[in-house]
Amino acid sequence: MHETDIHDLSDDADYAAASKQGSSSVTRSDSSKRSSSSDPEDAQIVYLKDNVTIHPTQYATERISGRLKLIKQGSSLYMTWIPYKGQSSNPRLSEKDKNLYTIRAVPFSDIQSIRRHTPTIGWQYVIVVLSSGLAFPPLYFYSGGVREFLATVKQHVLIVRSSEDANVFLVNNFQDPLQRTLSSLELPRSLANGTPSSSFRGSPSDNNNQERLDTVTTSEDNHSGSGQQNIRQRQKTHDPARDLSIQVLEKFSLVTRFARETTSQLFRDNLVDGHGQSQSQSQGERRRNNWASKDHQPLEMAPIDDPIVPKLVPVPSDPIEFDKLSLVWGKPRQHPLGVEEWSSFLDYEGRIMDPDALKKRIFYGGVEHNLRKEVWAFLLGYYSYDSTYAERQYVVSVKTAEYMTIKNQWQSISPEQAKRFTKFRERRGLIEKDVVRTDRSLSFYEGDDNPNVRLLHDILLTYSFYNFDLGYCQGMSDLLSPILFIMQDESEAFWCFVSLMERLGPNFNRDQNGMHSQLFALSKLVELLDSPLHNYFKQNDCLNYFFCFRWILIQFKREFEYDKTLRLWEVLWTHYLSEHLHLYVCIAILKRHRGKIMGEEMDFDTLLKFINELSGQIELDPVLRDAEALCVCAGENGAASIPPGTPPALPIPEASIYQQQDDEVL
Amino acid sequence: MSYAYLFKYIIIGDTGVGKSCLLLQFTDKRFQPVHDLTIGVEFGARMITIDNKPIKLQIWDTAGQESFRSITRSYYRGAAGALLVYDITRRETFNHLASWLEDARQHANANMTIMLIGNKCDLAHRRAVSTEEGEQFAKEHGLIFMEASAKTAQNVEEAFINTAGTIYKKIQDGVFDVSNESYGIKVGYGGIPGSSGGRDGSTSQGGGCCN
Repeated sequence: MHETDIHDLSDDADYAAASKQGSSSVTRSDSSKRSSSSDPEDAQIVYLKDNVTIHPTQYATERISGRLKLIKQGSSLYMTWIPYKGQSSNPRLSEKDKNLYTIRAVPFSDIQSIRRHTPTIGWQYVIVVLSSGLAFPPLYFYSGGVREFLATVKQHVLIVRSSEDANVFLVNNFQDPLQRTLSSLELPRSLANGTPSSSFRGSPSDNNNQERLDTVTTSEDNHSGSGQQNIRQRQKTHDPARDLSIQVLEKFSLVTRFARETTSQLFRDNLVDGHGQSQSQSQGERRRNNWASKDHQPLEMAPIDDPIVPKLVPVPSDPIEFDKLSLVWGKPRQHPLGVEEWSSFLDYEGRIMDPDALKKRIFYGGVEHNLRKEVWAFLLGYYSYDSTYAERQYVVSVKTAEYMTIKNQWQSISPEQAKRFTKFRERRGLIEKDVVRTDRSLSFYEGDDNPNVRLLHDILLTYSFYNFDLGYCQGMSDLLSPILFIMQDESEAFWCFVSLMERLGPNFNRDQNGMHSQLFALSKLVELLDSPLHNYFKQNDCLNYFFCFRWILIQFKREFEYDKTLRLWEVLWTHYLSEHLHLYVCIAILKRHRGKIMGEEMDFDTLLKFINELSGQIELDPVLRDAEALCVCAGENGAASIPPGTPPALPIPEASIYQQQDDEVL
Repeated sequence: MSYAYLFKYIIIGDTGVGKSCLLLQFTDKRFQPVHDLTIGVEFGARMITIDNKPIKLQIWDTAGQESFRSITRSYYRGAAGALLVYDITRRETFNHLASWLEDARQHANANMTIMLIGNKCDLAHRRAVSTEEGEQFAKEHGLIFMEASAKTAQNVEEAFINTAGTIYKKIQDGVFDVSNESYGIKVGYGGIPGSSGGRDGSTSQGGGCCN
């Protein structure tokens, strides 16, 4: 994925020039007495640049300028960016707002890549992406200095240029095992890779946590990795709502240092009576200090030259300000998985050697169209990842025969028998009515007597016999249509649909409990990730989230063009970051429109209409990136907000295991 | 566009009776036999004129399948009018009317105007419910009744507009407090003499001034 061309950057003319200038910026740092005197004694400022600015909005008056520094301490390099105090011409921009973006001593071991942008008009800027996949807002160098910045970084940290994009510099991207080892010796352990809360949790599984952290550190990119697997077990021991909020904010704070100022603000919103505010704040403070003392001890404990003393500014709650959180975004989307790369995932007998790597690859880029027929069969679970070519051939033939047997069950019902079989006639009638109202504008399904429409009918009716209890419900044809379009084979489409329905079947339960549990989980996640929006929905009687009903029922099928739906589905089906990424997709979309929703004070009816009319207006890639970022931010607290067994999680017997753990704790 | 009133309508009835087609015929004046089945709810709107006043109809077209009833129930809130639709060629869609009506009575405003529509009257040769039966059901339950065809457009205008006329009359008779939006009526910014504040309750009982 991250194929890199490890070559010396000195072949780059920019770098030759920049290296020479590098030292001058170090000297300049001495001119600032205050900064040098207040930095930790053993820390050395190796780069300092003034007028490095972020643009939180498109309005020039809301830009925030500050000072960017690289600080060397021991063998580690840290980056800080501190906004200037009180120079803002815009009264709307409070100190709190500025603090939100402050970057305090981020170690380069936490940084995955730096992208340099050189627009034809305007300032050069860089985007720093963390190993967790999150990114800082673009830093605009108003006074130049991007080259020196990168050159200085290069002097202290191993960076390589991405072979895919010459403007992307990968940090800590070690292909060579020797380098990896060296690096793990040199670089400080960091918690930035996903679970900062685990180290200060006095949970009984502390040993496990430590082990996990050890593995996390050396892995190049693992914000999902092993951390996700222990989530639920650990979460069971501590989950008061307040803790959840704090910890989620701690993750945001990794990016923006948003937490300290905003945590209390959020709790002011949450706790109407205002009691407990100071308590929760001090709790957050305590946790932060714990975290810092374990991991960033020297720099965090020492008073860094911070011209701003963070204060709690009692700003009247303006929820729209929280939109700034959308500055946190996920990784850039990749190109879809192609044939050549696909074959590299297979061994000589056709087994998939590393299913997780495959899923991750598909999560970030999807699959080329001509590969979908093969790959979807794995993603949906029709093929098992460890099956060989020969085994799959065998499965196909066995399953085709099995399909024909089930299909024959309804095909053999005579008209006389049907007369006395109301349930059958009703189902058949519903399906007949619906298949002619499913994607008929697509050439694959258009026209009279289209054989593919007939296949939709036959597969759905066969499914209603295969799963007689569930039967047929509207929405199923929407889910089957793309699968048949891709599989182009009746039996294979049927079995892939069966696999999908193992997960999504509860969406169609008569009592709608599958839908209600997802809508409930969605409301919990919004509460966690955007409490002002949650409060807004609460006040406006919108907490049933029915306005997201269609999104969830048929996996956004009606919201995107057909080809985008195919892309979204294969990404969702990887279950790479979460089985419930679709809920984060919901939140990502809602967050994009939260300003409008709250600003226009939409009531339930208006909101429902507004959401309905977003159909066809949603850009998939940015939403997926936001969803990824939200999922990472929510982390274990997000997973804990989703009750076990919530679709599309498989209704596995593990639910009883969770139950047991609960009992043990109690 | 400015309007004197906005009425919220909801179209209900079994799946496949032609709810979306009726809406499309009313808003776009066309019949499209091939369109995607409704999931959740779809919206349509059209301006009409009653008593020289511009009235905007905002129409909620709901999914008909039984499984979605619990969701559909949340759409009744604040509807001023409902079109309860059955298919004259499918007896069962007529048989289910009582349960639809029960939902409407339970979840909608008591003063909601309900129009019963026997759709697909162009398919007279396949008729399974007689006009008299429809009339009888409407009479028993206090509904307005019409047979219509979304395909030929027969009675489609009338169905929507007569419903609006009934609602309008209720406003004039003072049945509704139009300043209370739970009745499914919003007072607009245009067309009401003496009303400058739109939703201003003090003028909202008006309308009668024109007669």
